[in-house]
Amino acid sequence: MKKILALVGTNANFSYNRLLLKFMKKHFKQMADIEIYEISKLPAFSVDVPLEEQTEVWKLKQKVKAADGVIFSTPEYDHGIPAALKSAVEWLSYHTTVLKKKPVMVVGVSYGRQASARSQVQMRQILISPDCDANLMPGNEVLIGGATHVFSKDGRLVDTEMRDNLEECFTHFIEYIQIFENVDEEEVKMPIKQPRISEAYIKFPTGRLSLKEVQQIFSTIPFEIDLIDSSDRFAWYSDKPNREHVRDVASLNEPVTECHPPKAVPAVMAIINSFRDGKRDVVTRPLWMNGHRSLIQYYALRDVDGHYLGTIEFTGSVEYILSLFEKGAWDKGADASTGASKHEDAAEAEDNETADASTGASESSDDNEETTADASEPAGIEETDADTGASESGSVDADDEAADATTGASEEE
Amino acid sequence: MKIAAIAGSNANHSYNRMLLEFIAKQYKDTDEVDVIDIRDVPMFNENYKGRAPKVIADLDQRIGSADAVIIASPEYNHSITSALKSVIEWLSYEVHPLENKPVMIVGASTHEQGSSRSQVQLRDILISPGVNAQVYQGSEYFMSDVANVIDEDGNITDEMSIKFLDKCIDDFKIYARSINRMVEERAAEAAKKEAAKD
Repeated sequence: MKKILALVGTNANFSYNRLLLKFMKKHFKQMADIEIYEISKLPAFSVDVPLEEQTEVWKLKQKVKAADGVIFSTPEYDHGIPAALKSAVEWLSYHTTVLKKKPVMVVGVSYGRQASARSQVQMRQILISPDCDANLMPGNEVLIGGATHVFSKDGRLVDTEMRDNLEECFTHFIEYIQIFENVDEEEVKMPIKQPRISEAYIKFPTGRLSLKEVQQIFSTIPFEIDLIDSSDRFAWYSDKPNREHVRDVASLNEPVTECHPPKAVPAVMAIINSFRDGKRDVVTRPLWMNGHRSLIQYYALRDVDGHYLGTIEFTGSVEYILSLFEKGAWDKGADASTGASKHEDAAEAEDNETADASTGASESSDDNEETTADASEPAGIEETDADTGASESGSVDADDEAADATTGASEEE
Repeated sequence: MKIAAIAGSNANHSYNRMLLEFIAKQYKDTDEVDVIDIRDVPMFNENYKGRAPKVIADLDQRIGSADAVIIASPEYNHSITSALKSVIEWLSYEVHPLENKPVMIVGASTHEQGSSRSQVQLRDILISPGVNAQVYQGSEYFMSDVANVIDEDGNITDEMSIKFLDKCIDDFKIYARSINRMVEERAAEAAKKEAAKD
């Protein structure tokens, strides 16, 4: 079922446009899931208020992003759309592209016979301006005039001609959404579920892998991986089942500043920038996720010359590893000869019955134990460059709801 | 002439406000230009019937007492800013200081189009029955590429642009005087008819 977001185009307490949307929500409930949004929740648009404090604006952008289509229901004030509605559209086109290619439909109610026709024309012009660049459904005008006569007391649109027209236009809108969806599935989803050239091989210096194998390796290893590329965009995530962070292909290619709750952005950018600057190579963050102990590690991805390629977020449950530790799995392997780091090989060799056939993250597991045990000092990691103070990364990690560096939606919501 | 000049942006840095401040400075010997800053005007909301914010009464007074109005409009999304639209909605709700007022539209933008589309829209809004302003239809003044035309001290650095502005404002003042005369005559006629009835 299609998810539709419907914006009430006024901040007034009483509005026939709100009534129309409520009627549509009920009337079309078999065809679509319509969520009504009140623009009165939004602050007045201004370029001078700090965007990172506008949680309500961020929420609206997330809703628009998640919706298959958006309906704007507009009254008419002075031949134009209300300032409050214009303000909402300004928010939706300021440092964001959420309306770009989004299927949109314009409807409107007014007391007079003109039925908000002029403001609807203006609304359409605004929606196709380059700043919005929405996929505006052409034609299909829903012009409901004489509001006081065409609605019943309980809010039903009782004028049959108008209702027939509304049904026709809304059906067209659902079809219109589907046109673009088919394009999306091919263009965007295909390469995620299955690599494009499934028969190709990549030759690494250490052997060759088919793309299928690469894909399945990422889906099989017990940690999930997300990648923010060097231009700070969410570039890729591993298609692991039961992920801790639920990702959506709709978020791919989004700037990292956009796919996070605004207040998380500074912490995320601090991590990424410290990687880009070469100040750090890893940030570790032990935390509880979905009811179990988990570990998130951010790694700077660099080429062989050390140039920054992006940031990897490596996330997974550590319950299994911790239970092994608690059962003393490493106890007998540890002897006096080992220093800080390199005794795992021995432990692993002696402890084969634990069937750990695949661990690769060997050299930092000592540190993992420490950081997991003591969450207040997550920066105590040896790979961290010597010139970064623990306080620096500590301050980043301290912000608990902040630091999901890829998309922030999951932990907070 | 007493001119109320409304800067159509609520941004702290606004070339349109700078343009109006330049006009105020340029004509200070001949005209009294009152530059109106709309940053403190809240979003229009019809729930506030009968209890509009105080700033609206202030705007009503300043615009109502002016002989003419200049509005400088930026352009957001091919249209006027929500901040300016909000001001016009307040001024066409319980008070109507723009009614029959001669209004000239100017605009500056950092792009080529120089806010032309928002000016067309603003014209349409100002002549709607709720506002009913007398919009000057002569020369169109839009300033493109404004970042290279207005310097940091707010001076227009382009001689041609100043010359054209002079011409536009002179024409507009003639227009405004004619309109105000017409409005006075209309009022006098109406008063006469009223008196004849009694």
